[in-house]
Parts: sequence; C-alpha cells; structure tokens
Amino acid sequence: MTAFLDVLIGGVFHAAVLFLVAAGLQLVFGVQKIVNLACGSFYALGAYFGISAVKWAIAAGMPPGLFIFVLIVAGLALAVIGPVIEALLRTVYRRDEAFQLLLTFALVLMFQDILRFFWGANPQELGDLVMSYGKLSAGGVQVPTYNVLVIVASIAIAVGIGAFLQRTRFGRILRATAENREMSQALGVNVTWINAAVFTLGTVLGTVGGALVVPTAAASLDMPVELVVEAFAVVVIGGLGSMRGALTGALIVGIMRALAIRYYAELEMLAIYIVVIAILIARPAGLHGKPIE
Amino acid sequence: MKNGRRQVLKAGAALAASPFLSFPALAQNTPIRVGIIAPKAGIAGTIGECGLRGTQFAVEHINANGGIAGRKVELVIEEETNPKDSIERLRKLVLQDKVDCVQGIVSSGVSLAMGPAAEDMKALTIFWDGTTQDGVKETMPNKRYVFCSTDNECEAVMGSLLAIKHWKGQFKKVAGINPDYSYGRNNFAAFQALLKKYNIEHQVVADQWPKVGTTDLNSHVAALKAAQPDLVFSSLLFADLPIFMRTAHGAGLMDGKTKFVFPAAGFQHTALKKSFTPPGMIFGHNTLYFDYAKGTDLQKQFVKWYHEKTNDYPNWEADRAFFAMAVYKAGVEAAQKAKGAWPGKEDVINAMEGIKVQSLGGPGQMRKDHIAEQTFYQGITTHDNKYDFPTLGTVDVMYSDQLQKGTGQDFWKWIETANIKL
Amino acid sequence: MRALLVVAAIAALVALPSVVSPYYVTVILPAVAYAIALLGFNLLFGYTGLLSFGHALFVAIGGYSAAVLSAKLGVKSFELVLLISAAVSVLVAIPVALLSVRYVRIFFGILTLAFGMLFHSFLFKFYDLTGGDTGLRVLRPSLFGREFADMDKTTFLVGPFYYYCVALLVVLGFIMWRIVHSPFGLHLMAAREHPRKAEYLGVRVRFVRFLAFLVSAFYCAIGGVILAINTGQADPELAYWTHSGDLVFMTVLGGFASFFGPIVGAFSFVALKGELMGLTGYWRFVLGVVLVIMVVLFPRGLVGVGQQVWAKVRPR
Repeated sequence: MTAFLDVLIGGVFHAAVLFLVAAGLQLVFGVQKIVNLACGSFYALGAYFGISAVKWAIAAGMPPGLFIFVLIVAGLALAVIGPVIEALLRTVYRRDEAFQLLLTFALVLMFQDILRFFWGANPQELGDLVMSYGKLSAGGVQVPTYNVLVIVASIAIAVGIGAFLQRTRFGRILRATAENREMSQALGVNVTWINAAVFTLGTVLGTVGGALVVPTAAASLDMPVELVVEAFAVVVIGGLGSMRGALTGALIVGIMRALAIRYYAELEMLAIYIVVIAILIARPAGLHGKPIE
Repeated sequence: MKNGRRQVLKAGAALAASPFLSFPALAQNTPIRVGIIAPKAGIAGTIGECGLRGTQFAVEHINANGGIAGRKVELVIEEETNPKDSIERLRKLVLQDKVDCVQGIVSSGVSLAMGPAAEDMKALTIFWDGTTQDGVKETMPNKRYVFCSTDNECEAVMGSLLAIKHWKGQFKKVAGINPDYSYGRNNFAAFQALLKKYNIEHQVVADQWPKVGTTDLNSHVAALKAAQPDLVFSSLLFADLPIFMRTAHGAGLMDGKTKFVFPAAGFQHTALKKSFTPPGMIFGHNTLYFDYAKGTDLQKQFVKWYHEKTNDYPNWEADRAFFAMAVYKAGVEAAQKAKGAWPGKEDVINAMEGIKVQSLGGPGQMRKDHIAEQTFYQGITTHDNKYDFPTLGTVDVMYSDQLQKGTGQDFWKWIETANIKL
Repeated sequence: MRALLVVAAIAALVALPSVVSPYYVTVILPAVAYAIALLGFNLLFGYTGLLSFGHALFVAIGGYSAAVLSAKLGVKSFELVLLISAAVSVLVAIPVALLSVRYVRIFFGILTLAFGMLFHSFLFKFYDLTGGDTGLRVLRPSLFGREFADMDKTTFLVGPFYYYCVALLVVLGFIMWRIVHSPFGLHLMAAREHPRKAEYLGVRVRFVRFLAFLVSAFYCAIGGVILAINTGQADPELAYWTHSGDLVFMTVLGGFASFFGPIVGAFSFVALKGELMGLTGYWRFVLGVVLVIMVVLFPRGLVGVGQQVWAKVRPR
C-alpha cells in the first residue's frame, strides 16, 4: 500500500510541476490565441533567477528557512519581461498565426544563449536547501515537506486563477476578449492593455513555477526545449485554452507517467504520447477544450 | 575568465595555412594548431567546459616550457553539438583552418559519426571520451588516424568488481537506475555480466531508465523503493544525479539498508552534498580523483589552478583532455627525435602508438590499436573531510588493462572469459 | 528574367566545386539537401497554408531508412535507397496526414509537433532497433551502379555525389514547379485562402491537403537521405522538434510566398549558421534575432526583399 501511495504522490507532484509549466501556456492561448513555444524558456528563467536570488539573499544574511518566499518574489519580479516580449509579439498579432509561432520559436533560440550567457553551462541547483523543511512521514510513506508545498502551491494557483477568471470583473473582461476581440473593443475594453496584462500573467505563471520547483530539481540549459514537449502533451490532452484542461491534462500525464515508471519502466514517455494520440483521435479538442474548426 | 572563447592567431595568411608537412623549414617558427571540439551547451556543456580547462592547463604548461619540440601550441575551439553539425565543424578545422591535430568529443553518438569522417580525411584525431562498444566494432575496426579514449565501460567494470569485492554475500536483490542511452545500457549490462561471471546469486528487482536530463525523479525513486533492493547500481552522471540523490534521500532510500554503486558519480561530485550523499557508497572518479593524497604534483597543481579559476574542483574530463594533449606532445617529440627533423603526420602516428605518458591522474599510455590505457580511481565515500561533499575514504586504484578488453576482442566475450582480478 | 536567374543559379551550383575549396562544397551539400526538403515542406506551408512543426520526422525517416538499407540490408544503389526511403516516408505520412489534416493552423502545428516527438522518442527508446542515442551508420551508396571506391569520402561527396544531388534538386524542383502550376496547385491555394468557398466550388479541401502532405513527406525524406549520407550517421536529433523549427526558419528566411524562397532560405541558413558557429559561441542568439527581424520586418523573406529591390531598380 505504501508503495502505491509513493507512486501516487510522485505522480501528483509531477502533475503539479507540469501544471505550472502549462498554465501560462493555456492562459495566453485562451485569451490571445498565441501558442508560446517559449513557455519552457520562461520556466527555466524563473529557475535560474530563483537560484541566484536565493544565493544572494542567503549571502546577505537572510535565514535559509525563508527561501521559498525569495523564490516566489524572484518569479514575480521577472514579470518585467512580460510587457517587453508582448510588445514584440504585438507586431504580428494581425498576421497569420504561423508568424506568432515563429516569433516564439525565435525566443526559444535566443533564451538558450541568454541563459548560458548569464549562468554558464553548469547546471545550477540549491544543494540541500530543500531538505531544511524536513520530511513528512505517514506509515512507510516519506515525502519531503517541500514537495507537498509545491503541490499545495499549484492547487492554490489553479484555484486562484479559476476564481480570478470566473468571479472578478477583470476576469470576465478577459474571457469576453477571448471570445470576441472586436466586440470587446467596441464595448470600450482597452484590448491592448488586456493583451499586455494577460501575457505578463502567463509569463509570471511560468517563472514562478520554475522558481518554486527548482529546489527539488536543477536548472539546466536543455530545460527550455525539453519541457515544451511535455507541456504540449498536457495541453493537447486537457484541451487548448482551458485552465481546467491544464489541470486534468497535468494530472493524467503525471499519474500515467508515475504508473508507467513503476510497472513498465520502458514505456515512460511513450505512454504519454499514446494517450495524446488517443485523445486526438477520439476527442480532438481535448477533454475540456472548445470544439475546433 | 569566460570559457570557450576561440583563440585564433591570424598568422600570415597563405604561408601559415599550408600544412606544415610540406614546408618543414618554414614551419619551425609557426605555432602548432590544435583544433578542439567540445560541447559548450546542453546536457554536456559543463563537461566540455571542464575538459577545455584541462586542455588550457596543458597548453599553458607546454607553452611555458618551450612548446612542443620548440613550437608553441595554439588552439582553435569549435562546439560539439549533434553529429551532423559537429562533422561540419571537423571539416572546417581540417579543410579550412588546417589544424595539425583535432582533439575533443564527449558524446558517443558524435564520436561514432566522427570517427569514419576523420579517418577519411586523414585527420589526426584524439577523442577525449565517448568510446562505446557497439559502434566502435563496426565503424572503426582498423583505426589509423583516430585515437580513442578508454572504453566507456571501464568505470562500470571497476565499480562492479569493487561491489563484488567489498559486498559479496551481502546483497541479493539488485536494482538499476541508469540513463536511457547506450552508456547507461552498457554499464548496467556489464554489471550484470560480471555478477554472473563470479556466480553472485542475484535478482534484478527493478530497472529504471530515466531519460537523460529528467529533472523529476520522484516516481523512479518510488519504484525503486517499492522493489526493496539490497543494492542499487546507477551510472547516472549528468544533472540528474544530484537530483536522484536528493530525491532518494528524501524518500528514505538512504537509511542504510541499501548499498549503492555509482561508477560515474565523479562527474557531479561537488554537487553531491554530504546532507544527502551518505558515506559507505562505492563512488567512481574515473581517471581523476582530485583529492588523492598520493596524487602527482602535476595533479595537485592543476586542482589548485582549477579551484582558483572556478571556485570548484575538477572532474575527470579535464584529465581526459590533458591526456590527449600529452599523448600528442609526446608523439610529436618522440617522432622528431627519431627523425632528426620535423615529423610528418605518419611519423607522429607511429610514435604515438604504444607511447607512455603521465597524465594529471597518473600514468597512462596509448595502445598500438589506438585505444588509451589510463589509471582509474574508485572507492568508498566518507564524510571525514573539509568539504561539504563526500570524498573517498578508501581508494582503489586500477589500471585500465584490467578493466577493458584487449586488442581485437569483443567486450562481452572478454567479460566472460578473461581472468579479471578482483 | 526569372528563367535567366534560375539558369544562372544552376550554373553557379555546378561550377562551384571548380571554384571553391572542397570544404565549402561540403558546407553547400546539406544546403542542397535542405533545399529539396523545403520544396516539399513549402508545398504544405506556403501553398496549402498548413504550418507543420514536425516535418523533421520525415527527414529523419529518410535518414534512418538510408541507414537501415545501406548498413543493415546491404542496398548499395543510391536510386533504390532514395525510392524506398521516400516510399517509407509516404507510408508513414498517410496515418499522420489523415489525423492531422482535419485541423488547421495552430492545432495542425501542435499535432505535427507531437508526432515528430513521438518518433524521436521511439528512435531513442528502442535502442536495439534504432541504435538509440548513437543512431545508425549510413554507408556510401553507388551512383547509377558505379562505386567510386578509389575515391575517399570527401572527394566522393564534393565530386560525383554533389553533382548528382544538384541534378536531383533541379529535377525535383521542376516536378514541384509543375505540381504547383497544375490544377492541383490551384486547388491547394484556393483551399488555403477560403476553404469553405473552395468546397462550394468543388475543391475537395481535405483530400488535396492530404495529398500535399504526402508529397511533402516524399521530398523531406529525400533531403534526409542526402543529409545522412553526408554525415555518415543517422541520429535521433534529426527528428527533434527544434530541427522542425529550423525547417520553418529556413523557409521563412527565404520567403514562403515564393516558389524559390525555400531554396534561397536553405542556402542562406546553412551559410549563415556555418559562419556564425565559427564566429561566436552565442550563435543561437544571433539566429533568433535574425528570425525576429525576418518575421517582423521582412515577412516575405529574402526573396521578398529581392523583389522589392528589383521593383524599384528595374528599368521602366
């Protein structure tokens, strides 16, 4: 039984990580219809910057136990790049989607070298800092407390965004703009500002996610291109543009992966692709997506 | 100092560009150009950087002491990426930059493609790493211009032998978590082959193959834990290794009931902090153990130099790079002495075959079949040191002639039949 | 005018080995391969309006088929290798196309990316079959039955093999020209502009998209075969999604709205990347900047720029 719980927790943790990568992607696509191939790059940026911020803070005398707050602040601070990149993307809003996709691909290329320029080729990590929060034990199951915090944070973010989109006025305006840009504009919505805000929010979801997860992992140069693939699997399964889809997609991918690793290790990544293809055949819009074409 | 900066002296145009073979008299005063192909980004970026430092140290030393047979060494550095692009870099170095020697390469996939290409171009090439069994057999049966490193599996063989030597009878259920590519596959297979050879009764209860570069290993650790192994063999060696250690520690896998064998952990040794890397593990440093008390003066000098530059301690790739340069230097100088004039490429190759050198990590040589022999270091970890990461409490030293197959032999047959001492 | 330029370009390509060093010819050879691949890719992208982010899949199929055929099955004939590899590619393209052409635009791009990565995983995972990360060896083929055994590989590549590939490019280019100027080509463009209207007019939109997909797979595989022979190895990186991204990059660089754009793009990209890799360690960044500039300022690519310049300069 404990073995199964271990597997389950591992799967949920991975789902939490995937959700953090995919959430920004979903939000930006939902409102702006842009698929951001650089979502992995933002995540990686958050990871690297988070590590630097924590190291700097500790060197400046902060008690190490507070590192999680530093990470969150570091992720939020990176919001400044959101408007800058959005301004760049704005130049191709009116044009074919292909151009938007290409611009984000150009960002992926650029970010790879930007990360290497600032942080070098060595994978960066926070050593054993994550262990300072101790472990939670129940029965034979042991989980680092920090991992649980990450899961809780993902859920909080998911719920928060859901509430934001459904309950607040701003959220309603966002959803309206997503449905019908022209109409919203006619009704007085400042679509330009909305676009900048949404993209920044999407960016921040990625950077905060990256920063939060990095203590359990490492920041490395191939993160940006590797994560995109899993993020896309999540998004296809859950349905492009749906936040609920990001959650279900992430859970399905995370748990399937954990099960595959436990019972049929060779299948790991292939299992995910099989699910992706199956969904695409059976329900192409994804589980929660809107029907297309 | 920013690493990877390509240093190209623009010596006098056409003259310097002529291969020195044709104009020995003129060549005396021009530098020897050595092309280096090493990764700078991606999963192997940090390894390439470490190796590059080994080369730089070697070249600084060589040039400070008069160069190679009186000529200074100049480096032309290119980036190793995937096989296709790396071969283009090789072609540039050989056909356009007209370097006298090419050194580098960390990835087995790239070396497999590059070997035949280098042979075909008659480019004197010394690989730092990347020698796996399967490809080497078919692609390069009779190497003339290409020189290879020791077999990739040496560390797995040594780790397995040490496991058998220290823990025979203490383990039955074994598990493996190895990177999902040829290196990981061969390492775990070698381990099992050796267990079989020494009639160690065992049962493989789990074998995990995480994709190279995976950052979330919780599920893999959970699977290992569920299998309750007595011994875990892992050739993880990239950024996933410290992640694995930390995760395994967090899941309670390191509570003392399980033994660990990590033949290639030296690549990440400074990242494996004491708080999650227990003592009593078999740990491999390959050809360079930076803290070896009986290490050469040269090694101690290098470690100090490296620490001053990077605030870190080197892994074995630096030694591989140094070894390549040392073999080349020794070959050129021996050939020059024998000929009494500047040697041609064929002379250098003939001299390099069988030559003995002192690398950072100790004695080594280049076999006549163009495969290197070097000294390997593995041992049992201890926390009794001044660092925040474990070092080796007991050090076992083995020369690679006990760890790799002889000329013309098949690796798997060699394991079965050879008289490998424990 | 255009015919003159084309003839001049072909002449330049043919004359190249006599004028520049063998090294540069080895650099141009992949460009020829990519030019062929992109001719097919652009049929799908420029003419049909479907942006695939997974077409490296078919390039990889070409490469691996060449490897299996030459090294494992002992097929020596270049002609056979080309035909069989292209056929395999088309066969694989059939289910992929059937699934993908149901969608357009972004969904098409994501789907194709998923398929590309699925193949990449397969190549990596099935180690015993595909060689895993190290890939498979590709042996030198015989051209029209002639072995050229006395030549070393470099001489072979910059000599007979080069001329053969340039000829292939010309022939395949001519075939593609006929395709896009045929009624089929018109159907594609109609389907691209106004799918619904086209349906009314009797264009079987999904069917022509499907066919275009198959043709593009054919061309990409041939490009892949040439690339793999040039390298001597087929490795999984050929199928990685960033390689697909490079295909798109090259097409946009040259200009996807023109027939010759992709060819110009292939040569420009290969030359640019080669130079950059030699100049700076941060060549990916520079390439990214170039892509941004092309997308934002010069969406019609280098050919578009050329056309604008010509429009201003030409005598009235």
